[in-house]
Amino acid sequence: MFPLFKLKGRRMNLSSRPIVQVENIGMSFDATRALDNVDFDFYPGEIMALVGANGAGKSTLIKIICGYHSGYEGRILIDGRDTLITCPKDAYDVGIQTVHQIINQGVIQSMTVAENLALEEMLSPDQPLFYDYKGIRRRAAEIAGLMDLDYLDLDAPVFTITQSDRQMISIARALASDPKLLILDEPTSSISEKEAERLFETLKKLRNKGVSIVYVSHRLHEITRLADRVGVLRDGKNAGLLEKPFSVTNIVHAMVGEINHDPVRKEDVKADMNSVKFEARDLVVEEGGNPVNLKVHEGEILGITGLIGAGKSELAQVFFGINKPHSGKMFLKREAYEPENIKDAIKHGIFMIPEDRSNNAVFPNFNIRQNIVAPFLDNFANRLSILNVGKERQEARRMVESMTIKCESEEAPIDSLSGGNQQKVVVARWLMVEPQLIILDEPFQGVDVKSRNEIGKYLRENIGKSGAIIIATDIDEVVDVADRVLVFNSGMVVGEQKAGEIDKDQLIHWTAQAPEEILN
Amino acid sequence: MANAKVREFSIKWGFLIVMGVLFVTFSILQPAFYSAGNLFNILLSVCIFGTMALGETFVLIIDGMDLSIGSTAAITVMISAYSMVVLQLSGVAAIVIVLLLGAAIGLFISFLIVKVKIPDLLATLGMMFLIQGLQLIPSGGLSIGTGAVLGNGKVAQGHFDEGFKYLGQGRVFKVIPIPVLIMIVIALLVYVILSRTKYGRVFYAIGGNPEAARLVGVNVNKYKVIAYVSSSIIASLAGILLAARVGRGDVGSQGTLLMDAIAAALIGYAVLGVRKPNPFGTILGAIFIGMLMNGLTMLSMQYFWQDFIKGSVLVAALAFTFGLSKKK
Repeated sequence: MFPLFKLKGRRMNLSSRPIVQVENIGMSFDATRALDNVDFDFYPGEIMALVGANGAGKSTLIKIICGYHSGYEGRILIDGRDTLITCPKDAYDVGIQTVHQIINQGVIQSMTVAENLALEEMLSPDQPLFYDYKGIRRRAAEIAGLMDLDYLDLDAPVFTITQSDRQMISIARALASDPKLLILDEPTSSISEKEAERLFETLKKLRNKGVSIVYVSHRLHEITRLADRVGVLRDGKNAGLLEKPFSVTNIVHAMVGEINHDPVRKEDVKADMNSVKFEARDLVVEEGGNPVNLKVHEGEILGITGLIGAGKSELAQVFFGINKPHSGKMFLKREAYEPENIKDAIKHGIFMIPEDRSNNAVFPNFNIRQNIVAPFLDNFANRLSILNVGKERQEARRMVESMTIKCESEEAPIDSLSGGNQQKVVVARWLMVEPQLIILDEPFQGVDVKSRNEIGKYLRENIGKSGAIIIATDIDEVVDVADRVLVFNSGMVVGEQKAGEIDKDQLIHWTAQAPEEILN
Repeated sequence: MANAKVREFSIKWGFLIVMGVLFVTFSILQPAFYSAGNLFNILLSVCIFGTMALGETFVLIIDGMDLSIGSTAAITVMISAYSMVVLQLSGVAAIVIVLLLGAAIGLFISFLIVKVKIPDLLATLGMMFLIQGLQLIPSGGLSIGTGAVLGNGKVAQGHFDEGFKYLGQGRVFKVIPIPVLIMIVIALLVYVILSRTKYGRVFYAIGGNPEAARLVGVNVNKYKVIAYVSSSIIASLAGILLAARVGRGDVGSQGTLLMDAIAAALIGYAVLGVRKPNPFGTILGAIFIGMLMNGLTMLSMQYFWQDFIKGSVLVAALAFTFGLSKKK
């Protein structure tokens, strides 16, 4: 049922030669392996979508191709010739143009549309000493013509035009140099649906003109409509290359890995399904959103999966007191729970391990001990607020040992640890005290398989009477640990399965459903 | 391997060794240098900007910068003089007034940074100018001393409170200057707060990763306010010491206080190779600057070399901190 599902992708029909090839690309950041042995070929006149969960390595690969990261392994071939790309100018010189995700980084707000379109000419050293706006404007009109942007007022400052027009300007400018490869990173993430439609039409036209387009997106439904091929990355490796026809289900299959029909968890669920620990009743996260109902029981690990943008993290942020819900109620041990703020949630025993460890969780200037004890300093302070470092060390050591954190000692700097061990430190931080409910948002991003298993095992063995919610886009990550799995799609729960009766195809089906299908 | 060890050793002890070598060199070249009297002179020359540097340390830890402390100290000098000499208030009243003023300045700065969201450097730069101007207004731009003729033609009748002056000029057992004692007490207090209490830990957490701090339940803005208010109040305290030492409200009292204080705190990064703002390093940084200036003066170095040398030391210490100790 899977059309041309291959791990290492070389297209069989060689009717045209690839314009850009990346071979055995690898990249490490400190102890984290971001990309490992990745191959892709990009052909002229096609739109190749690049997908993968957060942390799968998409942006790293893009950044290597466009010259942002120089210390990569492997090689890049342009028109079959080995080419070293070490800085953005190298990429530019061989005809690779990138339109980055954040639209407003691609334009200069205070300048006019014309100046933005002809930015390259304007900044060129060949410009006359006295600013020739008329010349710039003439060139800008040519560039606008490439993308049928003639309707734009060339003299309007960019901050007065719409997001999608700004993006069109970035794309037009990228096209002005007649690139061989155009990379678009999450181009639809901050524009409306209607604007996206316009973008798709433009991209299709460009493809027909022979441009090779790499399209990075989390929105799988738009990919199925737009892309000719889909390259999938998972944990920094090639995880599949799909050729037409493909469906969202195919893509999700590739993103979550090999399909294993055996139930992963065979042991009995220890949860006490009669005592509800935490409950969300008709909880609406944002105005206009769908109400969510869910329960977590004592000793239960509830898994929540779903694509990026399905509303998983937003829900967790409401539980943890970061955002207030629009409407609906929450209950902790049957009592109304309305957290004022994060501190209040923590006081109630509701903890959250946020996604994106390095930006949201790790204190890079702290050692392991200081990172572990950070949320509960009160437990280590006397009446004068003086910290008892001996007690800190004792507790930190206990957590380091019980979670098998690989380190020289609890006094070692946090950045001496691998990604997986850093994540263990972050988990240890919140399991030092017994939680009522612990929420783990994408806890296995950038975590090696061994550490991942150890963290999951630790959580299962030590759940006690607490409740846990584990959130991950990767279905396997949830299924491995959870007693029960909920699937989120478009901000609502669309399916539920218990450990022992997991049917991944069904989970994937729920995950991949288009919003229209759900509502019917 | 050996190389790495040498590097590690020099990162940790390099600064203290340089300081020690300098001390011994000065003592050999000029035996009067290491007399008890001169050593107290050094501490006395350090204590005002050293105290200010301790306040700046709070702000540096949360990854901020306070450029207004010099003018806060200066306005303290003018307002305490105005309170005693013109308004004829008591020394205690003057102290209360200027400390409250310091707190108000700190609160206003944090309002600009936290609520109005002006970048810290710009907010405190703006406040620096504002306060510098403000301090001259009550006295009509003139220095304030007993007998001074005020803008309205009246003659100031009051005088500096003796107890107030004692804070700047007194000596315990006729040896240890009071301002030095005060600096040491503040240094100990700041050291305990920043390095031993949970509050200090939270300040460092915010400096390391404010988002992670927020997600472990820290009210980041509250701590920012505390940092800027502490910095301003401590700057006011330093201003009190300065006013008490000079005994008049001098319009030019600010001098190089701001740059010296910031230099001391930044040089402190290099002490023991901790590579972060810390109260112990700040005090040593201040003493280092004082010792260098004192020693060079004794060796007849001309005054106009001073800023150049201070600047060179600062740049060298920063290069040492950020360059040499760079991760492999």
